[in-house]
Amino acid sequence: MSVESRKRALRYFFAKVVEPMGFKFTPDHELAEFLLEQEVELESKHGVPFCPCKPIRGDRARDMQIVCPCIPFHREHYDAMKRCWCGLFVHSDVTDPDSLPQLSAKDLGIER
Amino acid sequence: MYTLSTCPWCMRTKEYFAQRGIPYDFVDYDLADFATQARITRELDAAGASGFPFVRIGGEVVQGYQPARFAKLLGIANQAP
Repeated sequence: MSVESRKRALRYFFAKVVEPMGFKFTPDHELAEFLLEQEVELESKHGVPFCPCKPIRGDRARDMQIVCPCIPFHREHYDAMKRCWCGLFVHSDVTDPDSLPQLSAKDLGIER
Repeated sequence: MYTLSTCPWCMRTKEYFAQRGIPYDFVDYDLADFATQARITRELDAAGASGFPFVRIGGEVVQGYQPARFAKLLGIANQAP
């Protein structure tokens, strides 16, 4: 499967997963395309599409929490930011993703 | 700073420093050897951090692409170069 066709497949699958959680793909098309391409490469290398912005630690339990879309494992944090950490997904009412700062859970006073 | 080669926010963070002529050191976690990765994850855990970019300015840690905090810690104006 080519990178482009796998990106399309991930888009289809991810949309089905994130929409019921109140998220959608970022309207920043260029950012979304870049992140999906990274995920396709990570999937090719590791077998699963890990988040391109979080560390793969070699600890299965922790690494499973950064498989995209990782929203369920970080729900409070991402709801507070109205975006996921890498910005591939934003809350469904967001129209200006650049207005959403990338803040850590610690910055937001959220226990991990 | 600790970064990932796959992370666009890490790229923007490097650009932020480069465009302002601010020297910086970085390690791409995903391209580092095992021992370096282990050291970085220990630092992340100690700081309560879970993602990249991870930027240390003086004694302060900034997790994420946060231009306003970079500017404040660097003592520069928070505006485009």
